[in-house]
Amino acid sequence: MSPRAAVERPAEASLRTVQAPDEPRSPLAGAIVGRSVPRRDALAKLTGRARYVADLDLPGAWHGVIVRATEPHARLLGIDLDPAFDWSQVVVLTANDVPGDNVVQFAVDDQPVLAIDEIRHVGEPVALIAAPDLPTAEAARDRVRLRTEPLPPVLDPLASDVAFARYEIAKGDLEAGFAAADLVIEGTYTVGRQEQLYLETQGMLAVPREDGGVTVHGSLQCPYYVHAAMRRALALDDARLSVIQSETGGGFGGKEEFPSGLAIQAALLAIKSGHPVRMIFGRHEDLVATTKRHPAVLRHRWGVTRDGRLVAQDIDVVMDGGAYATLSGVVLSRGTIHAGGPYACPNVRIRTRAVMTHTPPSGAFRGFGAPQTEFAAEMQANRAAEALGLSPAELRRRWAYGIGDVTATGQVLRESVAARSVLERAVEASGFEEARAATAQARARRAADDRAVGDGGRADHPRGRDEAEREHPAHGIGVAMAWHGAGFTGSGEEHLASVVRVEVTADGRIVLATDSTEIGQGARTVLAQLVAEELGVGFELVEVAETDTSIVPNSGPTVASRTTMVVGGLLVTAARRLRAEVEERTERPFAASYAEDAHANGPTRIVERFAGYPGVEWDDATHLGDAYPAYGWAAAVAEVDVDLDTGEVAVRRIVSVDDVGRTVNPLLATGQIEGGTLQGVGYATIEEARVEGGRLLNDRLATYIVPTALDAPRIDAILVEEPFAGAPHRAKGLGEIPMDVPAAAVVAAIHDATGAWIHDLPASPERILGALQSKEHEVSERTAADPEATEEAVR
Amino acid sequence: MTLSIGTRVRFAVNGIPVGAEGPGSRRLLDVLRDDLGLTGTKEGCGEGECGACSVLLDGRVVNSCLVPIDQVEGCDVRTVEALSEDARLGLLRDAFLRSGAVQCGFCTPGMLASAAAFLGSGRKPSDENVREAIAGNICRCTGYTKIVEAIRVAAEDGEALDVSVAAAPAPDVAGSRAVVQAMPGLAPQRAPIPPAVDPARPNVVRPRTLDEALEALARDAHRPLAGGTDLMVALEAGVADSSVPLLDLWSLDELRGIAVVAAEDASGTPYLEIGALTTYADLRSSPIVQEHLPAFGAMAATVGAAQIQNRGTIGGNVVNASPAGDTLPLLLATDAVIVAASVRGTRPIRASGFWTGYRRTALAKDELVTRIRVPLPAGRPTRYRKVGTRRAQSIAKASVALSWRAGEDGAWRDVRVALGAVAERVIRAPRTEGLLEGARPSATLAGEAARLVVTEITPIDDVRSTAEYRRHVVGRVLRRMILDEIAGGPPAGEGLRR
Ligand SMILES: Cc1cc2nc3c(=O)[nH]c(=O)nc-3n(C[C@H](O)[C@H](O)[C@H](O)COP(=O)(O)OP(=O)(O)OC[C@H]3O[C@@H](n4cnc5c(N)ncnc54)[C@H](O)[C@@H]3O)c2cc1C
Ligand code: FES
Ligand code: FES
Repeated sequence: MSPRAAVERPAEASLRTVQAPDEPRSPLAGAIVGRSVPRRDALAKLTGRARYVADLDLPGAWHGVIVRATEPHARLLGIDLDPAFDWSQVVVLTANDVPGDNVVQFAVDDQPVLAIDEIRHVGEPVALIAAPDLPTAEAARDRVRLRTEPLPPVLDPLASDVAFARYEIAKGDLEAGFAAADLVIEGTYTVGRQEQLYLETQGMLAVPREDGGVTVHGSLQCPYYVHAAMRRALALDDARLSVIQSETGGGFGGKEEFPSGLAIQAALLAIKSGHPVRMIFGRHEDLVATTKRHPAVLRHRWGVTRDGRLVAQDIDVVMDGGAYATLSGVVLSRGTIHAGGPYACPNVRIRTRAVMTHTPPSGAFRGFGAPQTEFAAEMQANRAAEALGLSPAELRRRWAYGIGDVTATGQVLRESVAARSVLERAVEASGFEEARAATAQARARRAADDRAVGDGGRADHPRGRDEAEREHPAHGIGVAMAWHGAGFTGSGEEHLASVVRVEVTADGRIVLATDSTEIGQGARTVLAQLVAEELGVGFELVEVAETDTSIVPNSGPTVASRTTMVVGGLLVTAARRLRAEVEERTERPFAASYAEDAHANGPTRIVERFAGYPGVEWDDATHLGDAYPAYGWAAAVAEVDVDLDTGEVAVRRIVSVDDVGRTVNPLLATGQIEGGTLQGVGYATIEEARVEGGRLLNDRLATYIVPTALDAPRIDAILVEEPFAGAPHRAKGLGEIPMDVPAAAVVAAIHDATGAWIHDLPASPERILGALQSKEHEVSERTAADPEATEEAVR
Repeated sequence: MTLSIGTRVRFAVNGIPVGAEGPGSRRLLDVLRDDLGLTGTKEGCGEGECGACSVLLDGRVVNSCLVPIDQVEGCDVRTVEALSEDARLGLLRDAFLRSGAVQCGFCTPGMLASAAAFLGSGRKPSDENVREAIAGNICRCTGYTKIVEAIRVAAEDGEALDVSVAAAPAPDVAGSRAVVQAMPGLAPQRAPIPPAVDPARPNVVRPRTLDEALEALARDAHRPLAGGTDLMVALEAGVADSSVPLLDLWSLDELRGIAVVAAEDASGTPYLEIGALTTYADLRSSPIVQEHLPAFGAMAATVGAAQIQNRGTIGGNVVNASPAGDTLPLLLATDAVIVAASVRGTRPIRASGFWTGYRRTALAKDELVTRIRVPLPAGRPTRYRKVGTRRAQSIAKASVALSWRAGEDGAWRDVRVALGAVAERVIRAPRTEGLLEGARPSATLAGEAARLVVTEITPIDDVRSTAEYRRHVVGRVLRRMILDEIAGGPPAGEGLRR
């Protein structure tokens, strides 16, 4: 064991407020809000005491496994159990054993808990098995044969004639817009499937109850989604169902809808076997069976004038929803609304559809449709800047939304528009224009070199060592912007009608109760900060109720960057009411009197229900109106090195500037930006879940690769605060927008380095080298014809 | 006599002596979590990729999902639960907390293990060094920025407070030097659960000498086990036959060691002798390798990350015979000899004849690889370039090794060009070698070599890359390597690796 060190460990240091003395304080900061108090859950996580679902120990728990389809599309004729196997030691369930509706409840009732007569994707659950130990359960699974008759699968989204959702939004006169344009920028872009890759795989532990009901503990984002889905499929009433979130090792949308089906499956096995049942996915199963970010094909035609105005946007988007609708409709809706980018344009048409294919269902992933559509919009903006000979920063200065501008859905942006301020901060902090001038020079030098050689091999001549080092690898810089509507789209928040509770208990404790989950983003800390600030009490005095549906109200799902803005706002209002009520009784400040008041007068409990943001109007039928109560704004500048021999890209630095309305906890906020940025960098460069013939090719962590610490750039996260008056605490969402913006900035930087535009994500070395090869080919042909060819030839 | 491990393995966890039952190939991770209730250590993949299961094994960071319990006999294992008892880790914990390095927390225990090993290594806490130290630990939440910062802060605090950061000596658990005082609060949190018999986990035989190992191999079918970084993954994925018992070589110290050996034959050329159990970490830290075959050290630095480098061996890489294996092209390019031993005796096998097909070798069933000999002729540089999937934890999409002897006239002699991941096995490119042989390198020649080498390969499309990319990249990389030599040698650093 280690020799004990000679010094005392600074044990209490860990609990002091984290506020570097030189940390700039926002003018909006309060006593607690705006400060980097240490997160609530950190110590348990740092000492191994935090219990994730696989860590929960229940004596006598059985292990559940899923028999999955191996074909993309087939008729299911029967399920055969090998008679040589001893089936008495296990429990087997099929679709016939689902007591309620055989449906995993989402917007559309198309996904069964277990397939009944048609198989629609590889990995689809068909039967369930539980056994006292995992090897036995797995052995049993290997003895199940699915009798099927193959059916022709639809695998190409462009060939699918089944649409889960379609939208068309239009504004102005598109024809007139193009007629006024001097230049038309056209492009087709594709983006790949991306896996959330939360580090903790999906897992659920279901415990049967004496009342015939069931309690599930799981890794999940949305307890009440799970609750509703279980009620429906298990035909159980609320009193006999609880959903408890265990410590959750990341979600990113991947634990938004998926855990609902798994919870039902575990519960079915628990009820049938009479034992607690654990279902913990291995990584392979997790990769094969769970949802991914929707892949998409995006076609754009933009009209611009010579003097640099954007006059027309015609956009067509197809997203591949996979075999079942899950959340495709809402993902598509958000993608649609954001498809034009944060740019004012008088004449717009956006037509989108999410289609069915026989591939594993696509689903929620941080950004929720926006990273896909905004990538294409930013590519267009950068290509337009190039065509106009303008700096891409200058072009955005001219185009970006400002107060009073009208979006494609007809929303007038009345407040909290930070598009230009995030842009200026990013340009300034990154030294964008200076760096761009330097990379342009380097490109010109390389082009001159190539002409000097004239035989097409740019590196095919000896040069001094200094020169070789200077130009290899090639450096590039690029910029992109994003906007992201905070909260549910349109009337979503009104339909949700979220509820929160803040109370002083009879024994004088302050407790806030919501079903917002802590999935690493810091919800428990941020929400407690907001309540503490409002009550004027110390942060440590505010307790957060356990995320258990039998204790906490339904404050809506932990998605859509809505927790701090919507749920936090409700809590602030509730806390305000609580404070007023107590102070009215005691006629003293809340902090000094609430404990006494509780002992004298009993508990005080405030329940607050969402009642709509003022002045927000939306029409579900036309998809027009105020799509979101407020938007977050972001700009990112990426710097890359590209190895011109191999097409390998090293992303060196990203400056990401994000507007959050008002910062609750700077350390947590910059943490969100950094994490989202790296997911965006992965999306841009190396991540793609490749499905061929309906089957996932990279179905292990060795082949679905994400950035390591060595692949990660230096990330400078900068917060901007453009307060949102509609929220009592002025804060907007932040969770997703950092993911929307990096990909296009990285691809622009690759272009800046190499002169090649990569239209498809990921911009892999394979694609980059392909583009370089054809450019070199082109250059050699041109130089052969015209030795005076200018740099333009290279671009 | 060999010791058959279906019995009890004894080791120490966080200073407490423990025993584990079950087949010797059971994963250390399962013993920690299931038997001992030390659930702080996490499983994120089960195949060595994510680092969530990282623990310290005798002070080195390893993936506990790839460590068979047979190999921890007598060792000191430390997990995140020991944190509050260790001053060095206490500093780390505080720094993680203050820097905001924890989000969902699932990577955190493994990160702490890597960070602790790094602090113990005494390496300079530069941004690059810290990133390299945690490159085997995936974090999906933080973007790593705050984790890197936390480790740097802890390193500085440690220095300021003069906390001893030397790696802890391994206690001798099996022997008489009794274990360390027990630590209160670190007792297992739940009663041991008897391990279920898992048919996927074969038994392990642990010979005490090389001769015992060879005898066991001669008697019955066994699968040799070295660091387990290929074999444990194959078992986990269900692609290795689990009915064959494993023959654990790990404790055979006679298969370790790196030395320069004087010539035995008439050629007078000395050679570098590398024991089969030499790990990548050994190669990287060996001054002998640094002096005589720096390309091997540089190659080792590109393999996996710290956890894999601490366990993966050159012998395992050679016998695993993946066309993407990183040592293979270098061994081909340096005319290395692989020494095989069996009860029948010892025989040298030339690298050029060792890999006979896709994952096939010239080794007989009863043979083990004991050593690798790399000739060290004077004035013979060797270069290696791997084009991988990312900058750590990265398997080659294509790799090129180049070696030559520069004549007085500047012409290259004995040129070797060896290629990985562009055919069903590692190959040499004889026509390209012929083109370069006896010629003085020039840009034109580099271009010709680039065009010619493409005709000598048969790459395929697979999950990592495309045939087309591999074709293009091999030529371009070879050309660059030659151009770099004209310009005076390879630039510092390893391509885009920092
Ligand atoms: C995350 C990860 C990253 C990796 N990265 C890389 C990488 O970058 N480059 C790379 O090349 N590889 C990589 N590998 C593969 C692996 O680490 C190497 O091939 C390693 O060298 C294998 O050595 P080992 O000692 O772990 O072999 P083991 O797994 O113990 O054995 C491998 C095979 O060799 C046999 N064997 C081992 N030693 C002997 C011997 N002395 N005589 C006869 N047979 C023997 C075994 O029976 C088995 O078939 C990676 C693996 C993982 C899990
Ligand atoms: S669990 Fe991922 S490396 Fe061991
Ligand atoms: S904190 Fe979630 S994976 Fe690192």
